Amino acid sequence: MEALALSLVNAIPPLAGVPLWTVTLLLMVVVAAVILVFALTFEGVGSLVLRKVAGDIQARIGPNRVGPNGMLQFLADGVKLVLKEDIIPANADRLLFKLAPYFVFVGSFAAFVVVPFGVGLIAADLNIGIYYVMAVTSLVVVGVLLAGWASNNKWALLGGMRAASQIVSYEIPVGMALIPAVLIAGSLSLQDIVRSQGGLLGIFGWNLFHNPFTFFSFFLYFTAAQAETNQTPFDLPEAESELVSGYNVEYSGIRFGLFFLAEFGDMFIVAALATACFLGGWNVPFFNAGTLPWIWGNLLSLGVFLAKAFAMVLIMMWVRWTLPRLRVDQLMRMAWKFLVPLTFVNLLGVSLWLLVFRGKGIPGMIASLFG
Amino acid sequence: MGLKAYLNDIVEAVVTTAKGMRITARYGVNPKEEVTLQYPEERWEIPQGYRGFLHNDIKTCTACNMCVKVCPVDCISLESVRGADKKMVLCSYDINIGRCMYCGLCVEVCPVNSLKHTSGYEMASADRGEMILHFIAEDAAEIKARVARQVAEAAAKAAEAAKAAEASKAAEVPKPADLSAEAAKAGGDDPKAAKAEAPKAAPEKKE
Amino acid sequence: MTTRTDALPTQEMTINMGPQHPSTHGVLRVILTTDGEVVTRAVPDVGYLHRALEKIGERVTYAQYMPFTDRLDYLAAMNCNCAWAWTVEKLAKIEVPERAEYLRVIVCELNRISSHLIAFGSYTADMGAFTPFLYAIREREQVNDLFEMLCGNRLTYNYARVGGVSGDAPPGFLEKTREFLDYFEPKLDEYNNLISYNKIFVHRLANVAVIPAEEAVAYGLTGPNLRGSGVPFDLRKDEPYSVYPKFDFKVCVGTGERGTLGDCFDRYMVRINEMRESVKIVRQAVARIPDGPVRAKVPRLFKPPVGETYFRSECPRGETGIYLISDGSVNPFRLKIRTGSFVTMNIFEKVTRGLMIADVVAVIGSFDIILPEIDR
Repeated sequence: MEALALSLVNAIPPLAGVPLWTVTLLLMVVVAAVILVFALTFEGVGSLVLRKVAGDIQARIGPNRVGPNGMLQFLADGVKLVLKEDIIPANADRLLFKLAPYFVFVGSFAAFVVVPFGVGLIAADLNIGIYYVMAVTSLVVVGVLLAGWASNNKWALLGGMRAASQIVSYEIPVGMALIPAVLIAGSLSLQDIVRSQGGLLGIFGWNLFHNPFTFFSFFLYFTAAQAETNQTPFDLPEAESELVSGYNVEYSGIRFGLFFLAEFGDMFIVAALATACFLGGWNVPFFNAGTLPWIWGNLLSLGVFLAKAFAMVLIMMWVRWTLPRLRVDQLMRMAWKFLVPLTFVNLLGVSLWLLVFRGKGIPGMIASLFG
Repeated sequence: MGLKAYLNDIVEAVVTTAKGMRITARYGVNPKEEVTLQYPEERWEIPQGYRGFLHNDIKTCTACNMCVKVCPVDCISLESVRGADKKMVLCSYDINIGRCMYCGLCVEVCPVNSLKHTSGYEMASADRGEMILHFIAEDAAEIKARVARQVAEAAAKAAEAAKAAEASKAAEVPKPADLSAEAAKAGGDDPKAAKAEAPKAAPEKKE
Repeated sequence: MTTRTDALPTQEMTINMGPQHPSTHGVLRVILTTDGEVVTRAVPDVGYLHRALEKIGERVTYAQYMPFTDRLDYLAAMNCNCAWAWTVEKLAKIEVPERAEYLRVIVCELNRISSHLIAFGSYTADMGAFTPFLYAIREREQVNDLFEMLCGNRLTYNYARVGGVSGDAPPGFLEKTREFLDYFEPKLDEYNNLISYNKIFVHRLANVAVIPAEEAVAYGLTGPNLRGSGVPFDLRKDEPYSVYPKFDFKVCVGTGERGTLGDCFDRYMVRINEMRESVKIVRQAVARIPDGPVRAKVPRLFKPPVGETYFRSECPRGETGIYLISDGSVNPFRLKIRTGSFVTMNIFEKVTRGLMIADVVAVIGSFDIILPEIDR
């Protein structure tokens, strides 16, 4: 960020007199605002798309009253959420009750910072990118648990407990499933991971096709991440038909809206990480977007990245409208008996592969065979 | 759990999930599968024997009271007096459509088929009173007074006629058609009454 | 293994599930005592929908009671209608024209399909898969359309009459019924592929709330819940009434195919298979329906002879038995209705002990209870 600020100061002469830290700070605020706007837009559009997909799958139409073909439904929903009365139960722990939605929202929103949207489009290319994502999304647990506890509602409490155990359990397979990508790139930075999948192999440069183990890794990650972010079929913390609405049952208005936004934010983060770590991120097949002028290269790579990520989101919605929900003990069994061992086996496999074949993937080897 | 069962579990989970997702995907991509009826704009065809709101054709109603007796929820109320021609004259005929359960028993028993189900089904009201359909707009007391007057007149006439008959042996019968026609007309002609009848008229228009 | 006594002292938690809860299928209230997620006790508390239907029966005439039977089990109003008609006919020994009996069987079986569709759909929705619910509703709408064509109503039909049915099938009804059956039958395979054999779904249902056959009989379970435990008892076969003996159909029983015999999955599967059998029955009935009148002559002021009778028929939720005492007047002297759902609730507390909260939902769904039938 500071380097960008420095180049900005050098490029625009009137800024020369302004202290560098001011420019940096302003830049940070601008970037944060841009990401926030993106996140909110995605969450709004995502909720609309979710309902449209639900409608299509369920042989009905879905929202179609607000705006052309129901396109503005999410705005109406947003306005409704903001204007609704904010109810705090009489016996709730008021401070924690108010605090909880922010934890959840911040936890999901902060992860957007390291999402590599394009060649140069990343708010902060942290050298511990993946680690950072894992860390901040864990903040959601705190929020959900607080929400469940502070509501002073037994259903909410059960939901909160479920969420805590679920998220903590699934952190492990999620992390383990992501490590193969880290091993291949040799870096925790998401930008480096994406770059490692570039090259002129096209889609075969993706980690997904690197070797059989990474192929499974992707599916393991996708499954585990859905569970970690409480998506159906792992939406036990808010199981509508069991816990009424789970941890957010007592929330209304904008506080509920924050939970709602965080859910869609998580959805995008999962899709974005899957894209970045296994599906080649913003890499345009057979083409190096970095060679284009800055603006076009970034726009192209942004488009490619978003297309991939949205495709993943669509798949998540598709899964959501197909599968029933697991029971809480089955959820735990799935984590500890299936996902954790499998991800470990996978990790071992990937490590051995990299050791034996000196870091080369199958497509790379085939490519080198043909010169 | 052996390794084989363990792997079997995984394979089965993947296969069954894929099967289900194939079905949902087929629905998802096929827009022809949509079955939603966009209600206020689109409506389904009402079949012949649809049990909608009740409508009583006052002109043919004989005030026999059968519908009132058969109604399991007592939603029909009827008041009648004996007219000059010994026939019953309706003073009021109300159906509480908010209480009606559309069982159709009253329609079935109606001997002159004056009580019928219409195809109307739309009624929302903030006031329960509006859900009572009044089929006779004129005040019941007025009708009663008028009928009583007519009865008295007829009686007087009959007495006169009897006297005359005694005198000339020619019988004069009071005209029965007059009375019922007059009673029915009283409802239709009054402009104020027509307005009051508006909610009742609405379902008919739909036909 | 030694049990530690110095562990953190914990308390059981009492949770009120219902009367407003999305998956108690109405206004059932279950008082759950839980130890974390594990239910140590689940006591059903019924009565929130009590409308004194039996007492009303003593006030109204035999014909007038017909619309009230619609409200007994509104998802299977035709079955309740016919049950009442059959009871009164049995009491008064009225001969019903054969065409009317065929029509009754057709509507009863169609209603069984639509009722089982709701059972299937709402069960999957309880299990977290919302999509099959809408597919089920879509099919059910078509049954409703058929009934609307037949009697003018979509939910509370009031179609049967003492001595027959309210009206003959309008022209085109039988063809439409056949069309529906052709459309509907393949959908059952689709449901099975979509959800029935889904791994998660099977895991949620298999081995949950197992009711052994003897226990099911001892607790008086009837209908699909009893057959789910492997007892091939179906009143349509075992105590034939109406024209049922003329049709060829199978009694579906649980097989324990994915777990133990008598678990939730078996009860669920019995319903799915029964829909197929109902399709078979309706097909035969539509093909063989005779011509003739649809209503026997029953005096308007109908007074059955003094006496009492008990008639039971196979409703989608089990046996609906009606006990009727007549004193020779126009009103029944006493009326008692035995419904499948109410009796099923007896075993609820027993089978839910030690299950998880999510399983309680699964048990309620697998019993396919309906509250107006429980509370009457």
